[in-house]
Amino acid sequence: MTWWCSATGVAWTGEWRAYPGVWIFLAILAALYWRLGRSRSADQSVADRYFAVGLVVGWLALDWPLGALGGYLAAAHTGQFILLALTAPAFLLLGLAPALRDDRRAPRRWIRFLAQPLPAFAGFNLIMLATHVPAVVDTLMASQLGSLAIDLGWLLAGCFLWWPVTAPAAYRRMAPPLQMGYLFIQTLPAILPAATLVFGSYPLYRLYELAPRVTDLLTPEYDHQVAGLLMKVVGDPVVWVGIAVIFFRWSNAERRADRERSAIPTPGKVS
Amino acid sequence: MTCHRPPAALRLFATIWFGSACAVGSAPRPELAGALLPKSSPRPDFALTATGGSPYHFFQATSGRLTLLYFGYLNCPDVCPATAAILGAAMAKLTSDDRSKIDLIFVTTDPERDSAAALGAWLGKFDREFIGLTGTPEQIALAERAVGIAPAIRDTAKGQYTVSHAAQVIVYSPDDSTHIAYPFGVRQQQWVADLPILLQRWTARDR
Repeated sequence: MTWWCSATGVAWTGEWRAYPGVWIFLAILAALYWRLGRSRSADQSVADRYFAVGLVVGWLALDWPLGALGGYLAAAHTGQFILLALTAPAFLLLGLAPALRDDRRAPRRWIRFLAQPLPAFAGFNLIMLATHVPAVVDTLMASQLGSLAIDLGWLLAGCFLWWPVTAPAAYRRMAPPLQMGYLFIQTLPAILPAATLVFGSYPLYRLYELAPRVTDLLTPEYDHQVAGLLMKVVGDPVVWVGIAVIFFRWSNAERRADRERSAIPTPGKVS
Repeated sequence: MTCHRPPAALRLFATIWFGSACAVGSAPRPELAGALLPKSSPRPDFALTATGGSPYHFFQATSGRLTLLYFGYLNCPDVCPATAAILGAAMAKLTSDDRSKIDLIFVTTDPERDSAAALGAWLGKFDREFIGLTGTPEQIALAERAVGIAPAIRDTAKGQYTVSHAAQVIVYSPDDSTHIAYPFGVRQQQWVADLPILLQRWTARDR
């Protein structure tokens, strides 16, 4: 029975297929959030919307068609990476932030530790690099359980990436300029797999070299090159959006502070 | 000046990543990627029709040359396009001298749907010198028998039928015998490494 998207070796037909494992997984995430991940704070409705967006992005990455195409095309696999590791976790964490801020039972030591840039950098990049090693991809993507492991690994990697900038203010260890620098540095190690995919003499992944073709336009070489380009040309701007949000929030906060400072009358000054 | 070395774990990880990625480019392999046949058999003689419409006598046309022979069909959803793409890409990476010594031949197992023109156009997408052969179902069955592979079977269970066929590439060496066959799954890099060896391994002098 097919419950999770993986490489099957069966020809791509374009026919819709059900992946109940994906729906159950997302339903469990939603249920856990509803029971344990919400606070009574005023900003909860915004957090609910963030979490819902995170779930929808995760669903787009895991379900048909992108999830299924991830077993045929390296480019689709990279699309899944962009959604699962770079996009969905940011929204899921923004949704969880108020509850983690307000819940006294939250593991504060861990939350604080993971909000530091070094553990976050190591966590994200170790998973990102490990899940792009050819032997790992060729082995894991061939089974549903292995494919699930990669998908969960990417979600976890994204949590490492985004937590230092989405954690509640009390846990954040970096000022906004440092947060922007941190996010930019996080995009650098992906150059290694991306460059190998784009400039390699031969297709990197056996799985995608031998997979049934989805379209004649994408030979295994082009497919690998598109995958590498997507990783940088689409993946990096996703992180840059995060940088832009931090920048504008910081700039607005500074402007507000300036306005408040100038509104306070200076003692002894006669106008 | 002190030189700070990266942590051991980081060095180990970098070694594994680079090692694994570079294996797809330069790993030395002791032997050929194909399966050596327990008994060699002579280059067969069968007659089919080339995509241009001219008769093609296999033995006459290919004798003394390295010949890669594959049976498949255009509507094949999986192994045929993958094999043709891999062989075409591998050919493009050979030296022009080596390429000129190799015949790449694709025989359709579905002559009723694969017109000669469509076959030629499809093969041309992978390699312009790919030779496409067609014929009547009886002629193709004779060719399959002569080569010693299982005959293709039409699976008509679905409206758009598929054809079950042998998926290996049969290699005829310059000594006019076959010693080795390549199952589906051999990668482009392996073909690029093997083809120059195959040109030298069983030469015309070994006949």
